[in-house]
Order: sequence, then C-alpha cells, then structure tokens
Amino acid sequence: MDCYTANWNPLGDSAFYRKYELYSMDWDLKEELRDCLVAAAPYGGPIALLRNPWRKEKPASARPVLEIYSASGVPLASLLWKSGPVVSLGWSAEEELLCVQEDGVVLVYGLHGDFRRHFSMGNEVLQNRVLDARIFHTEFGSGVAILTGAHRFTLSANVGDLKLRRMPEVPGLQSAPSCWTTVCQDRVAHILLAVGPDLYLPRPFCLVFPLALPQTPPGLAPGVSSFLQMAVSFTYRHLALFTDTGYIWMGTASLKEKLCEFNCNIRAPPKQMVWCSRPRSKERAVVVAWERRLMVVGDAPESIQFVLDEDSYLVPELDGVRVFSRSTHEFLHEVPVASEEIFKIASMAPGALLLEAQKEYEKESQKADEYLREIQELGQLPQAVQQCIEAAGHEHWPDMQKSLLRAASFGKCFLDRFPPDSFVRMCQDLRVLNAIRDYHIGIPLTYSQYPQVLVLRRLYPLAIQICEYLRLPEVQGVSRILAHWACYKVQQKDVSDEDVARAINQKLGDTPGVSYSDIAARAYGCGRTELAIKLLEYEPRSGEQVPLLLKMKRSKLALSKAIESGDTDLVFTVLLHLKNELNRGDFFMTLRNQPMALSLYRQFCKHQELETLKDLYNQDDNHQELGSFHIRASYAAEERIEGRVAALQTAADAFYKAKNEFAAKATEDQMRLLRLQRRLEDELGGQFLDLSLHDTVTTLILSGQNKRAEQLARDFRIPDKRLWWLKLTALADLEDWEELEKFSKSKKSPIGYLPFVEICMKQHNKYEAKKYASRVGPEQKVKALLLVGDVAQAADVAIEHRNEAEMSLVLSHCTGSTDGATADKIQRARAQAQKK
Amino acid sequence: MAFPHRPDAPELPDFSMLKRLARDQLIYLLEQLPGKKDLFIEADLMSPLDRIANVSILKQHEVDKLYKVENKPALSSSEQLCFLVRPRIKNMRYIASLVNADKMAGRTRKYKVIFSPQKFYACEMVLEEEGVYGDVSCDEWAFSLLPLDVDLLSMELPEFFRDYFLEGDQRWINTLAQALHLLSTLYGPFPNCYGIGRCAKMSYELWKRLEEEEDGETKGRRPEIGHIFLLDRDVDFVTALCSQVVYEGLVDDTFRIKCGSVDFGPEVTSSDKSLKVLLNAEDKVFNEIRNEHFSNVFGFLSQKARNLQAQYDRRRGMDIKQMKNFVSQELKGLKQEHRLLSLHIGACESIMKKKTKQDFQELIKTEHALLEGFNIRESTNYIEEHIDRQVSPIESLRLMCLLSITENGLIPKDYRSLKTQYLQSYGPEHLLTFFNLRRAGLLTEQAPGDTLTAVESKVSKLVTDKAAGKITDAFSSLAKRSNFRAISKKLNLIPRVDGEYDLKVPRDMAYVFSGAYVPLSCRIIEQVLERRGWQGLDEVVRLLNCSELAFTDMTKDDKASSESLRLILVVFLGGCTFSEISALRFLGREKGK
Repeated sequence: MDCYTANWNPLGDSAFYRKYELYSMDWDLKEELRDCLVAAAPYGGPIALLRNPWRKEKPASARPVLEIYSASGVPLASLLWKSGPVVSLGWSAEEELLCVQEDGVVLVYGLHGDFRRHFSMGNEVLQNRVLDARIFHTEFGSGVAILTGAHRFTLSANVGDLKLRRMPEVPGLQSAPSCWTTVCQDRVAHILLAVGPDLYLPRPFCLVFPLALPQTPPGLAPGVSSFLQMAVSFTYRHLALFTDTGYIWMGTASLKEKLCEFNCNIRAPPKQMVWCSRPRSKERAVVVAWERRLMVVGDAPESIQFVLDEDSYLVPELDGVRVFSRSTHEFLHEVPVASEEIFKIASMAPGALLLEAQKEYEKESQKADEYLREIQELGQLPQAVQQCIEAAGHEHWPDMQKSLLRAASFGKCFLDRFPPDSFVRMCQDLRVLNAIRDYHIGIPLTYSQYPQVLVLRRLYPLAIQICEYLRLPEVQGVSRILAHWACYKVQQKDVSDEDVARAINQKLGDTPGVSYSDIAARAYGCGRTELAIKLLEYEPRSGEQVPLLLKMKRSKLALSKAIESGDTDLVFTVLLHLKNELNRGDFFMTLRNQPMALSLYRQFCKHQELETLKDLYNQDDNHQELGSFHIRASYAAEERIEGRVAALQTAADAFYKAKNEFAAKATEDQMRLLRLQRRLEDELGGQFLDLSLHDTVTTLILSGQNKRAEQLARDFRIPDKRLWWLKLTALADLEDWEELEKFSKSKKSPIGYLPFVEICMKQHNKYEAKKYASRVGPEQKVKALLLVGDVAQAADVAIEHRNEAEMSLVLSHCTGSTDGATADKIQRARAQAQKK
Repeated sequence: MAFPHRPDAPELPDFSMLKRLARDQLIYLLEQLPGKKDLFIEADLMSPLDRIANVSILKQHEVDKLYKVENKPALSSSEQLCFLVRPRIKNMRYIASLVNADKMAGRTRKYKVIFSPQKFYACEMVLEEEGVYGDVSCDEWAFSLLPLDVDLLSMELPEFFRDYFLEGDQRWINTLAQALHLLSTLYGPFPNCYGIGRCAKMSYELWKRLEEEEDGETKGRRPEIGHIFLLDRDVDFVTALCSQVVYEGLVDDTFRIKCGSVDFGPEVTSSDKSLKVLLNAEDKVFNEIRNEHFSNVFGFLSQKARNLQAQYDRRRGMDIKQMKNFVSQELKGLKQEHRLLSLHIGACESIMKKKTKQDFQELIKTEHALLEGFNIRESTNYIEEHIDRQVSPIESLRLMCLLSITENGLIPKDYRSLKTQYLQSYGPEHLLTFFNLRRAGLLTEQAPGDTLTAVESKVSKLVTDKAAGKITDAFSSLAKRSNFRAISKKLNLIPRVDGEYDLKVPRDMAYVFSGAYVPLSCRIIEQVLERRGWQGLDEVVRLLNCSELAFTDMTKDDKASSESLRLILVVFLGGCTFSEISALRFLGREKGK
C-alpha cells in the first residue's frame, strides 16, 4: 500500500498529483524532438513529427520526412515532404493533420498520411508570409490562427467551413508579440496577445473601439516588463501568464479575476506551459516545462518539481497532461477524489475499509468481518462499493482495477438491493479501455470516446466487436463502422471498380442506416467517378443520388434519377444546374428527351421567362405552340392595335407552318376584325374593340347601323341562321317591332318562326307574338299557340295531328275552370283514338 | 379532389383530426414569428383557412390585420408581415415587389412566407432572382386535406387538373402522396388498394416509397378504412360533362359550392343581403335532399313545410306549462329548421327559374341522346343553335366536348364549323381554349381513315414503349380515343328501362342522371370492388387505354376481419362532381347493408 502512493505529490493541502508511465516509446527516433515540428492530438491521439530543416541556417540536402505515430510510438505513416516550408502542425478534432505552410496554404492529411485536401488562408497571408500559426479547437470544430509577417492576425474558426476573419491591427505593434494565443469568448474565437507589459484582445466586431485597448490583468505583481508565455485551459475558461520576472499569474480568461499567483524565480522563458486540471475539480494547476525541469504550480506556496532527463513535449488533455519524450510517454494528473479517499495513507473512508476487508477475506482472516462490520455500522456500504467502482475506472493498471472491482463485488454481496448496472458498465468500459490502451493500439484514453476513435484508426474488427460487446444499437454502432469501412475500401486504388462495388454491397447489403450516397461521395472524392456511379446504383432512394451526380457533372444521369424519384423539386434543381452547365442548344436537346422535365420547365418559363419559352418552341420547330405563344403575347404585351395585329400576324404565319390552316384563318379573321373594330370606334365612337364578331354586329344593329351590320355579315360570311338569331334578338331588344316584321318577311326564316314567338313573349308583347304564331310550321304549332296562351286552338291543332305527346302537353297547360271545356275535348279525342 | 365514400353502418373515421392537426401546425408557424404581425392570405386559401382557424384564433396568436394577397401595394404598417400563400410564381413576384419597395423606402421589416401545402423550389428561385431570398424566411404548412363533410375530404387544389392533365406537370403528385401517407398514418394502413390511370399509378408508387422510408409506425395497426381506390379524372370525362340533376349538384351548377359552402344571393334569401351557407350533414334539411333527384325535392320540401306547420300548430291548445316546455326546448330547433327550409325552397325556385329560361328539358334531352348515341345530327344542330344564340359559353363548350368524347371526336366538317361558330359568338380568344381542350383530349377531331385498330396499335405501341415519358407525349400527339360507346356497352351504362324510371325509389346509380346513364367512374369502382380486382375487366381497361396502369394491391387477404373493411375511400385525381358523390353514397347504401 505504501508504495502505491509513492508517486503522489502533494500540492498545497488538499490535492495530490501523480505521474505514471503509459508506454515506453517504441519509436526509433533519429532526431532530437527539439529539432522537429511536433503535434499530438488530444484524447490519446496520434503524434506527428516533421523534422524541421527550414529553421536551420543551411538547408538540409534531403527532403524532410513527415512521420505519424500512435501514442505508444507505433509508426502509422511516413511520407516524404514535397511541398513548401511548414511553419506549424496541428490535429483537427476529426484527427486530420493540418500542416500550415509559410505561404498560408494549409495541407490536410488523414491519420494514415493520405492527402485529403488543401486550402489557402488568403492573399494577405500569402504576401506577408506566415510567421507563426496555431491550430485550436472550439465547439464549432477546429480552427487555424495565423500571425503574418506584417504582424497581423488572420483566423478561421472552422476549417471544415472556411470563413477567414482578419483581425484588426494592434496599435504600435512593430515587432512580433512576445506571446499570443487564441481564446474563445461568447462563442467567438479571438486572439489574445502580449506586447511588452500590455495585453491586447482585438475585437473585429466592436464598432466603437475597432482598435483594442491595452489591458492589464488584475492583481499583477509590479515590475513586469513583458510576458514570455501564456496558456489557456482546455475549456477556454482560464488563463495563465508567465512574466519575465519568473512570476506566474493565473486567472480567468476574461482578465477580470485573479485566481492565484506563484513566483518560481526562474527567468528563463519556459519551453511550454499548459493547464492541468480535471473537470469538476476545484484544484487548478499549471504545468511549466523548461529544458530539464518540469514544474506543477497551483494555489500553494510550494510547487512540485520533476527533473526531465530528456527533451519532452507536453500534451494538454481534458483531465491532465501527457508528457512524452524519446523513450517514455507519461501521464500527469490530479489524483481523483475516489482514488484519494481509498488510497490515502490511513484513510478511513468506506471504500478504503472495503478494500482492506476484501484483502483480509482473501487471507482468510477474521479481520475481514471487523472491517465490514465497521462500514455497515455507519451504513456506508453502498458508498463504499460505489467508491471502489469509481476508483477502478481511474486506475491505469489492470491489476489495481481488478482488486478494486473485486472489493466492490465483495461488498455487493452484503447488500440487498444494489443496482448492478454501474458495476457491469464499469467492467465493460474497462475491458474496452484496456484493450485500446494496449501497446499495439496505443490509445491511452482515459474515458468514453472509444468507438469513434477506433474507427478513425481503421481497426474495424475491433470496433465492431466493441460495439457488439457494448450492445450499441445497430444504426449507431455497427452501421457506422461498416459505412466507414466502405469509405476506406473505396480508397484502395489497386482494386477494380466492379470488385470494390461488389465487395461493399455484399458486406453492407441493406444494413439500416448505411448511406450508399455517402460512400459514393467518398469514392468521388478519391477521383473514382465510375465507382461512385456504381455505388449510387445501390442507393435505394433516388433522391439521394442526385446531389452527388450533379457534383460529378453527370447531370443527365442526375436528371433521369430525379425524374425517377418523382420529386419535382429535385428535377427542377437539376434543370437549373443543367441550364448553367450546358449551352442553350444542348440544354434544350436534353429537355426534349425528358418530357416530364420539359413540361416542368415550360411551366416555369410561362411565368418567369417568356423569351426562353419562345426559344424552346423555336428549337423544337413547334409552330403550333409558337402560334399560341404569339396570340397570348398579342393580349398580354401589346397595347396598340398595330402591335397586336403584328403579333397576330406572326401567330398566323406560325400556324401556316404548323399546317393548321383553321387556326391561321381564324387568326387572320381576328386581325381583320380588330382593324375594323378600330375603324368603327374612330367613326362611330363607342366600344367595339375585343367584342366577338356576333357582338360587334349586334352592337351595330342596336345603334341603328343596319347597313354596316349587313356589310360586316357579308364580309365575314356569317351564316344565315346566326344572322337571323342575331337580328331577331337585337330588334326585339330595341322593341322595333315594325323592323322585326319587315325582317321576318324579307325571306323565309331559316330558323322557323317559333323563335319569333318566343322572343316577343319574352318582351311581353302578346300582340306581336300572335302575328308570328300563325306562321309557325306544323310541328311546332302547338308549342307556339300555347306560348301565346291560346289553349283552345292548341288543343284543336293537337287533336288534328292526333299526336299523343302534344295532347298531353296541352292538357298540362289547361288550368282550372277556364280551360275546362278544352280539357274535356282532348280527353274525348284521346278516348276515341284509343278505341281505334 | 374529393374523397367520398359510403356513409353507412360502419362508423366513419374521425376526420376532424385532420383539422386539429392543420390548426396546430399553423399556430406553431405563426408563433415562429413572435409579436404582432399582419397576415396576407391568398384569396383561394381564405375559405379553407376559415374552416381550420377563425379570426379569433388568429388574433390570439398576435395576428393584427388580415389582408388579401392581390396585386396592389400593401397598406400594412406592421413591422412583421406574414404571407400565407399557395406556391405560385405570381405570388412570389408580388412578395418580392413588396419587399423591394420597402428596401427602396429604407424600411426594414420581417417577412415570412408560409407555403401551403408545400413549397416548391421554383418559388424560392424566383425570390432569389428578385433578390429578396435573404430577406424572407420560408416555411411550409402541410395542410393538404380539408374535411368538408363527415364523408368528404378535399385537397382544395383547383390547379391540379390543369397542371397535370393539360400541362403534364407532375409536381402535385408529391403533395398527393404525402396526403395519402398522412391518411395511412392516422387511420391505419389500407389493406386493399386499387387504381386506374397514370397519375393514380405514380401517386401510388410515390406514396408506397414514402411508407417504406419511414416504415414501422403503421404496421400492426388496425386499419380503419378497408379499401382505397385511386381514379384519374381523364378515365371518365363524360360524367363530369353531364348536367347535374341531383339537388346538391344543381346547387353547385347554379350557385357554385366552394369549399363546402355556398353564397345564396338576394333572390334566394328573399332579403337584400347575400348569405353564406355551410352545406354539410349538419344541415338537417339539406342532408335529406342533397342526394335526391331534383324532381323529388319540391315534394319533399312542401311535405316538410307541412310537418313544420303542424308542429307549430301544436302550441294551440297548450297550457302554460306545455307552452313553456315548447318554447324552451323545441322552438329553437323549429325556428332553425324553418330558416333552412325557406332557404332551400328559395334556392329551388331560383334553380327552376334559371333552368326553364335555358330550356333545360331540351338540353337534357340532347345530352341523353348523345350518351345513347342516336340522332347525332340533330344533337349537333342543337349545339350549333345553342352557340348561335349565345346561350352560355361554358354550356356550349360542355356540349361540344360531350359530343366529341362520346363520338370519339367530331367529324372534320363539324369540328371546323362548330369552332368557327363558337369563335364568332364568344370571341376569337377562344382559339387558345380549343388548343387546350384538344390537348387534354376533351375536344378532338376524328382522324380521317383512322380505324379503331390503327389507333389501338398506336396506343399499345406507346404504352409498351417503356422509354419513360413517351406516354406524356401521347397526351398531345394522339388525342386519346375515348371508346365511350364500346365501354358503355360493356359496362351496361345505359340502363334499358321499360316504362318510367321511378326517380323516387332509384334502382341503380343511373338515378343521378334521371335514369339515363350510370356514371362511368362509379361503375368502374363498383365493378372492381365487387370482383376485388381487375379480373374480368381486361377488355374495359384496354378500351380505357389504361391497360398498363390499372393495379390492385392486396396486402393481406383477411376478408373476414373487422367492420372497417367495409369502408372505402375513393380518390378522384383531378376533381369530382356532386353527382358522382351522390351515386357513390347510393352505392354505399345498397351494398353496405
């Protein structure tokens, strides 16, 4: 037990810090760490090294090598660096390696040294060169901050969605700041920099003070003339400053509050300074590293000091600091509360007693019972078990984990109702963690991010086993891993497209949650367009296929897929894409083969782009539609008669071309009519334009222009029947009975004389009506007589005709007493007819 | 679009759920724009909106003033404007002009556009082209089904017919599929699906795809509706072209029923005001006469009036206590009934007046002659006279179309002369109308020498040619041959009647057309449901030119199961007439027993 706390170092009264070895490094470094650019990803992530030849006076003859190792020093990748000088390396949150070049170009590599993409940090950076660069992480992703040769800062808060922000100038900044860092306040990333004794926080969005004012941290000891090093905590909440007087100030990142200070009396600038704290712990400490010395300082008069035998490098983690050198990889952190309670010397905490009890029990000593009793008397057995479980999680060595878990399991036996989940969960978690901490895998994770991390390392079988072991739902776990595997598979350039596609489909089948379009997107990203198309074939939702097809410039295929999906919006999206991509002729040709798309586009053009619509019809030689188009235009666009007639003429020509003579003639008639109506308006006044032919003639008659009306009827060859109907109605409307009679006698009526009777009755002129009733032909006579109200005569005619239907019609008109006699007469005639 | 089905012994599903759903979503959308706002509503969304959420509900959610979307500058002074519109391009231009006018005036307001039932990319495109896309926020109000009555749903999309059947634009199919999907999530999966027509088939496929994508939820639920039948309107144009003679149909033909309500003018209300009346099953008087042949309606109404009078008369000779009872309990109901009765009597009178003026009997006679296919020449002459006399542009067209469809197109001479006459009577602009009618297959010309077999081989070639979309071309190039005569014979659409057809006690669905014609659409539905599929109807399907596009989908064959399987939902793609609804209600009563 004594030896277990041997590596515990107290800092102040309440906290202990311990440093233990994770791995002895397996790498075979030729260089000193100090000669290299080093970047290590957080969460036990990989380490990238690039021997930096550009910093030396004389450039090295050979090209440098970029090497990537796991945390245990297992080489993952190694490649010759062929691009320009690199200023800084860093890992993004997705474990992509970002290499910032002197010219502001950032190259992005995968974990295995595969080149992903590159982007530039802008022209200004290119001109002034990069002096210094940092990669930082915020809740939005990973960002890049750059200090240019002109002492200006440019940053992008998320490299996935590149938006460059140029920070405002700092007044009087003639040389590079002595130190700087990125901070994140109010969800915005800023630069904090130190110039002499002043700190600046330029805010690009502040309108009142576009230039930053110098700030001084509260409670700073006097005599400071410059800051040598600064560090922000993992969560951006705290800031530590190291001054040229060997004094360390620790406070909040907003510079509003001081937490503590420490004077270490070392004036040499430290190599590195990082925060070391764990979530929910009140203790805060900063680890400072010099060439051969490591110091942990916090809110205590004394500091903890370690001697460094070798060149070392610090990696801040969420709950501690990793320290690695050529030969070892160590972890330095604050001892967690549960462990402290159990292992502290002479601890009487329930967990400590339980552990002791279990040990005695194994020795078959009766002391076990004593200890157990002691805990039970205090009623603290559940806490004891809980403590042991928790502490096991924080232990690195499996032996210690086991003995703690054994103690917990022992304690559980004496409890009736202790929920088993936390114990089971911890056992599972530890198995997983131990597996990945294994030297071959080399991920010294402390907790909980595992499946995701493993997948990035292409340890698929292990990841799948873990997911199944942890019973993650399929969609979350296995599917994601399979999809990831497939994405990796498409990058194997030496396998043929067919084989890859088949292999992927065989393995994935219809696994829920796997998106073939994502995999295809990856294939396209690797330049394997054909493979991507093959993979898309497996995508069941055609809608999903379209965006990628568009990206791959397979627009026509995209169009047919969109049509297949039945989603008109999608079709429309593709159409607009095509419209920009192809020249007009090709675009129209494509449309022609896709009637569904064509009609959709036509609908749009009808409302929004009339000219295009015309071109469309022209292209197709669709003269019929062109004709309609011009007719519509004659109504919509043109005000003046001449313009309208011209439009109609074009329409008529088109109709001729379409061999639609009827329409052409009709249009020509319309032109004639329009011109005529115009003339009539000029000569007679009144409203003629846009009346129908029929109405034009009627209007003429109503205004007494009989001559003109006749002329018009002849010109436009109005059929006799229509003319008669027309005149009849018009004259009756005028109540010009004399003219009507004259008209009726002008020749034999082509529509008979019943309409005359009807129209007179409509105007309530029985007298006139009777005149015509006598002239109505025999078939309609009864009807006419009934209309004028001559029931008796109607009956006579009906009887004469011996027509059953007519007789019943008359009968139905016989009302009450007046027509009694008539009714009888009909009844008699009927009876007679039936007898025969 | 309408969804009538048999109102009968099996209990109807609770369609008011659809209303609640729509209302909640609208409120949610309105609350997305907190604070006072003015609401601009598209004219033809007003009535549907009124059925979902009235003004006071809108006010509760801080809608200040209501405006109609029309092409005028907005007078609103509110800082927040909300537009509730159909996804139409002209609306987008209106909104854009409004926003741009504000920009010119240096004014900043918040704009929100709510599209109903869904937004289209083309609309957003227009907003972008007009440079206001960044200034407005867009949302969707997925309000696609309005319950008009206990047994009637409507999508209230008047442009569906034109867009699909004339322009070949398929964008509403997605909306329809969404609506069907909504129905199946709310009322359980439909065990049996039938359909006919290209649009029906596409909608069905899209709908099934939607179900697949989010499967799981509907499975295992007890279906509330047993069958669904999708029917393209162009399968049966004839029925839609016939004059309606059931009461509800006549009210529609005369006054236009819009969104389940009708505006009765002063001539009906016998006062100087117009009155908006909701026509549905809650109107007791209307509910009894809506499906009746018009000739019975007067008799029924006068009987009703007498009964009412008798009930009023009972109060004579009552003592005080009885009188009190009468006043407190019955009088209100009687008064209500009285009011409704006088309204419907007024409506009947008005209908009679209009119909006699037009010589309705002659018109009906001609229609029947066309349906039965005799005296074609006489009918053609009647139509010509109809046009010459300028009786009514729409009626003239209706008759021409009916002639064309029943006769497989007009003979070339008539085609020309009728069109010429029509243009002379009603104006040259109708040249375009004729183009459209021709394209939709409503008014066509018999191709000279085009024998039946020739057309058929052409059709079958087109249909088998799977190079998609070619069929769409068939719309325009080959005016669809209707084969009405043959279908009519096959399906026995013209009942052979000896003596008078008793309209009071109808024997079959033909009563909705005075016993002269059984609506084709309803007959197809009847036959398919009877046979539980299309077996034995091959010839009919072939004649309808839909051979590839008729489908049945019987997921499981548990006929014996619940009551609900007797419920049938019929979906008319492109609208339906009240006559058809009445016929289907009749069918429900007959078969549902």
